[in-house]
Amino acid sequence: MEDNISIKVENLTKSFKIPEHGSAVTLQDRFVNPLKKKKFIKFTALNDLSFEVKKGEFFSVIGPNGAGKSTLLKLISGIYIPESGNVEINGKLVPFLELGVGFNPDLSARENVYLNGVILGLTKKEVDKYIDDIFSFAELTDFADMSIKNFSSGMQVRLAFSIAIKVESDILVLDEVLAVGDGEFQKKCFAYFDEIVGKKTILFVSHGLTSVKKYSNRVLWLKEDKSYEIGDPKEMVEKYSQTF
Amino acid sequence: MNNNDFDLYKQFVKTTFKMRYKGSILGFFWVLLKPFFMFLILFLIFSHMSGQAAGLTSQQYAVYLLSGLIVYTFFNEGVIWGMGSIMERAGLIVKINFKREIVVVSSLTMALINFVINLLIICIVALVLNVHLLPVSLLYVGLISITLFLALYGVSLFTSLWLVHVRDLQHIMELVLQLLFYASAVFFPVEMIPERYRFIVYYNPVARFIKAVREALIYGKITDIYFVLLCLGLAILVVLLGRLYFNKNIKKIAEYF
Repeated sequence: MEDNISIKVENLTKSFKIPEHGSAVTLQDRFVNPLKKKKFIKFTALNDLSFEVKKGEFFSVIGPNGAGKSTLLKLISGIYIPESGNVEINGKLVPFLELGVGFNPDLSARENVYLNGVILGLTKKEVDKYIDDIFSFAELTDFADMSIKNFSSGMQVRLAFSIAIKVESDILVLDEVLAVGDGEFQKKCFAYFDEIVGKKTILFVSHGLTSVKKYSNRVLWLKEDKSYEIGDPKEMVEKYSQTF
Repeated sequence: MNNNDFDLYKQFVKTTFKMRYKGSILGFFWVLLKPFFMFLILFLIFSHMSGQAAGLTSQQYAVYLLSGLIVYTFFNEGVIWGMGSIMERAGLIVKINFKREIVVVSSLTMALINFVINLLIICIVALVLNVHLLPVSLLYVGLISITLFLALYGVSLFTSLWLVHVRDLQHIMELVLQLLFYASAVFFPVEMIPERYRFIVYYNPVARFIKAVREALIYGKITDIYFVLLCLGLAILVVLLGRLYFNKNIKKIAEYF
């Protein structure tokens, strides 16, 4: 793969076999009704998708629910494997498909920072080094030893975001992270974006079309019929907006 | 294994450990109290009868019973926790790509920690009751523990994935383990079983491990070492095969939760 490409997706296809409701799936069904067949509905999430994301590019993905956005991110993050086609990644990729993955409500905020940080790929030493920064960026220094279940959801997101940005990476995969949090938190996110735009490759999935238009270099529009278009942010967002 | 993998492993063990007993007042003591009460009940009911049948003093029967219980408990927890490990972390597995095997190892580590603590207790009990413990016996028990751990690890590499596809496995396994409890002569001497049924115990590896541990702890004798070594070899083989199977099939698992 050429050096200036971060993510290369080639002829990517992914479909899921979903057991039909009422078909014999569990052992119990199979025993009770041995003649009944296991039936599946095939659901195609992505069909023959190809694109490249250049290094340092802010690349956004838009499209209606069910168009395959999340499936695409999971394929790129290595959580799913392609059915056919290829995904190639150049550099260290950190997926934020959800902020605060692995947060445990019964643990203290401090313990959760360690847990989540290590899950995201930091070593314990690195967390030791960053932990004060993380709490001060999240403005939660006074709450470090509180159980996280007593945090408001906004506080949890702030904490999670502060951990996430400490993870060194070349490629960030962001799924709807801006959909949560209050106005002030969103400002902080955007300030962070301004800082890293151009330095890191960002793959961004959002329904927030304003921020897509504002930050993206290019936009991939996934459609419900599994066709797609790639192009200039303004043009794509406008076209997409006309469909509803 | 890089640094982060090891840190992740430690975090998982730590969290599970904290969570398992969080919110209960006695917390960690439940690890000790539960087997202790089990022990007490069985001891009160069976010590006289078993002692007579096998010619054990009540001190010896205490060690006999304890060692049976803890080896069985280790096996039981290892099978159940190892098998449930992937399911338990489903929420994490569908969100982020990390080395999945860590999840299996850390669950088994929980069982191992309990086992080691229980072993220490046996040693204390044995000392208090004046049952002689030889260093070589302890070494042998160590070898048996390693063999058991590897076997559990190897098997869990298969079962943890199977459980995702066939949830019934959980219940089936619980039944099998319950049967195994009685088939392993945990609380009664083998002599109490009619002769023609003793082969059940003889062909049951868990029972043989328990027996070897007992002989070592109570009489200071190293017995059945070829069997243990054979099992160690088999366990290593199962681990190797298990890793192949696991690494091949784990990639698709996120779709099946």
